[in-house]
Amino acid sequence: MTKKQTCIFLGVVAVVIAALIVGIVLTDGLYVKDSTIQDTMKDAVLHEGDKISLFGLAVNPGLISAFVVTGIILVFAAVVRIFVIPRFKLVPGKFQMLLEQAVGLFDGLAKSNSPHRNDFLGAYVFAAGAYIFIGTLFELFGVPAVTAAGMSVILPAPLSDINGAIALGCLSYLVILSGGIVSNKLRGVGRTLKEFSLPISMSFRLFGALLSGMLVTELVYYYLALSFVLPVIVGVLFTVLHALIQTYVLTMLTTLFYGEVSEPYVRKPKKQRKKKGAPETEPAA
Amino acid sequence: MPLNIDWQQILLHLLNFVILFTGLWFLLYKPVRAFMQKRREHYEKMDAEAAKKNAEAEEKRAAYEEKLAHAENEIAEKRRQAEKQAAEYSERQRRETDELARNIVADARQDAARIKAQATKEARAQIASIVTDAVGKIVLEDTASEAFDQFLDAVDAQADAAGAPAAPDAAGAQAENKKDE
Repeated sequence: MTKKQTCIFLGVVAVVIAALIVGIVLTDGLYVKDSTIQDTMKDAVLHEGDKISLFGLAVNPGLISAFVVTGIILVFAAVVRIFVIPRFKLVPGKFQMLLEQAVGLFDGLAKSNSPHRNDFLGAYVFAAGAYIFIGTLFELFGVPAVTAAGMSVILPAPLSDINGAIALGCLSYLVILSGGIVSNKLRGVGRTLKEFSLPISMSFRLFGALLSGMLVTELVYYYLALSFVLPVIVGVLFTVLHALIQTYVLTMLTTLFYGEVSEPYVRKPKKQRKKKGAPETEPAA
Repeated sequence: MPLNIDWQQILLHLLNFVILFTGLWFLLYKPVRAFMQKRREHYEKMDAEAAKKNAEAEEKRAAYEEKLAHAENEIAEKRRQAEKQAAEYSERQRRETDELARNIVADARQDAARIKAQATKEARAQIASIVTDAVGKIVLEDTASEAFDQFLDAVDAQADAAGAPAAPDAAGAQAENKKDE
């Protein structure tokens, strides 16, 4: 038997053993879930049964996720500010380039969509983008927490909690409104209020997108037979895509509307009225 | 509230995000953007300096090209000037040489005249001295013929010494006369 043949033989044996183990697990009644798929979905959306106690206050797991994500981001930012930024070079290294790309991306987005006023907007969309992206990826790590009822729960993405999504959507709307007021006073308020559906649409778009990802993942994990290989695609790929898409959508919408309401007002030239006695000019042939 | 919407939790989320926004703005966004702005200004300055140097180089190149275009005329002009200067120099040299030659000739003539006059003067003095000696000898010692012979011998001797031709006829006649006697 050659070395190559030995390798093939061992590989086949390993595959057979793995298939047998999968078969044994799938046929075992131990892994049958107690709750129905409806209950699982309902818990994922409403968090009625998995509240967490925060200093005696019963809150959704999404809020705890939000605090954890904020803590992680702030600690990272502080470390970068103290140890990395003072050592920035004119020719950037890989990490410096990553940071500059992130800042430059949101700064450029703000400048291109709102050329008249964009300093505050750039910082806002940078923070919102970082929060949405990292918060969405956060659910991949499966950080556990204990509910008020003493059950274990995996912390979800902060924005899969409807309260978090409403907070970010409404805050984005307020930022847009502030841009309108600063740039155009009452006219800016009028322009912003014209888009009265914006906070609702932004909030529920964010909530729906992230919740759908979480529901699909829950659905996949509910059935044991789907728990092999498929979560690699559903869990990781969908989450990464959600993170990217929702970050882009919210920041893009915020900058676009901000640019629209902060655009300086240009008075349209009045049309000259024709005098009654004046002869009408003939159109050119 | 429907969908488990809770105003308190919304406010908590807002508070959380405001803290995150403030922290990120001051810790990350502002310093990185400031660095990027500084670097942009640095490269813009370099770019401006390079453009300025480029413009200067272009200006110099244009000036040199213009100079090159006029170089042939300048060379011809300088050649004409050089030829003119050379001709003037040559003429001056020739004049100086002629003047020098004339001076040398004049000096030589003066020297020759002076030497001739001196030689003539000296010869006359010697002749006079010889004549005086001869006359003295003739008168004081022998006969006239002897004196004459002595005189003639003295003249011959003097002529040989001075390089002048002797009087052959008279000397030869004297010699023949002596033989006959």
